[in-house]
Amino acid sequence: MTHEQLDNLVNEGKLKKGAVAEQGISNLISSGEAWLKDAKNEQLSEASRFDLACNALHALSLAALQIAGYRPDRNRYVVFRSLECTLGISNKKRRILGNAHRIRNLVQYEGGAEITGELINATIRIAEEISLLLAKKREKRQRF
Amino acid sequence: MEKRGVAAPKAEGAIRSKRKRTGGRIETLSIADAVFTLTQQRVYALLFGQPNRRFFVTELIDLACMGRGAVQRELAKLATAGLVTPSRVGNRVYYQANRDSPIFEDLCAIVRKTIGIERVVENALKPLTDKLSLAAIHGSVANRTDTAASDIDLLLVSDDLTLESVYSALEPAEKLLGRQIHPILYKSQEYRHRRLDQTGFLAHVLESPKIVIMGSTDDA
Repeated sequence: MTHEQLDNLVNEGKLKKGAVAEQGISNLISSGEAWLKDAKNEQLSEASRFDLACNALHALSLAALQIAGYRPDRNRYVVFRSLECTLGISNKKRRILGNAHRIRNLVQYEGGAEITGELINATIRIAEEISLLLAKKREKRQRF
Repeated sequence: MEKRGVAAPKAEGAIRSKRKRTGGRIETLSIADAVFTLTQQRVYALLFGQPNRRFFVTELIDLACMGRGAVQRELAKLATAGLVTPSRVGNRVYYQANRDSPIFEDLCAIVRKTIGIERVVENALKPLTDKLSLAAIHGSVANRTDTAASDIDLLLVSDDLTLESVYSALEPAEKLLGRQIHPILYKSQEYRHRRLDQTGFLAHVLESPKIVIMGSTDDA
């Protein structure tokens, strides 16, 4: 996997390069997993489930970025943009995540946006895929 | 010109695709193919389908996926006739539909009905027809206030589709239009339930101008 695109984001000032402590990565993954589990709880309101799914996505995507040796520079969206390089997530899925992130911001800062059941489900499905890919990646790292 | 906010007439689908016989073979011929050459379709769809947007020549060539010479010849004709206005920024020339031309509104209406955003989105959604009970464009495109930076807002109702399959289907349309499409996908029960909330997002969308591409807002 090439990190050329990630280096371009460093040049754009959106990412910083540098090793990150394993403990930090583990913490991000356990928070992400916990939020993802709660996002699936249908007893909760749709607004809460969506917020939890978005938090899970961000934590897991950030962990993937840190494993690759990068961290965002005051930019939240860049972790989703990097998912193609860090975990090979397709453009179509990154678009869904980008849209979920946009809606999350609209909800948090402007109060108005539509969260549908399918948006929550798709966000959870992709977060689960990211979680699986991340687990495989860590397993491979620990073996070497 | 017709007011937007009304659904495209149902009969349009029937007249869009007539059959012609050629040497025993039956081919379909769309209205667009009868009226415009392929290069014209691609160039007109951009210039008169997005009249608030100005395009650089290289941008038009890329988006139209046609040869440089063919696109430039088309642009030269349109500019000479005053249908588009060329302007210069530094060394680059950009083109935009000329609002002052006597047939500006008519040309935009023809493009909209034959090859514009509505048709491009409709064609992209065609493989999903059986699974969609409603598809409608809302937001700035429906209000006709869209610019180059505006996304295309799409309202969809389906009990079977996932967002992943919708984004896949829309990908070619996004490339062709050079714009992002933002679908909101409801299940039918969710749609019926939410539209009752008078202060909600959906009620607001349904009261605002929209272009219904498939189905009906009442039966979805």
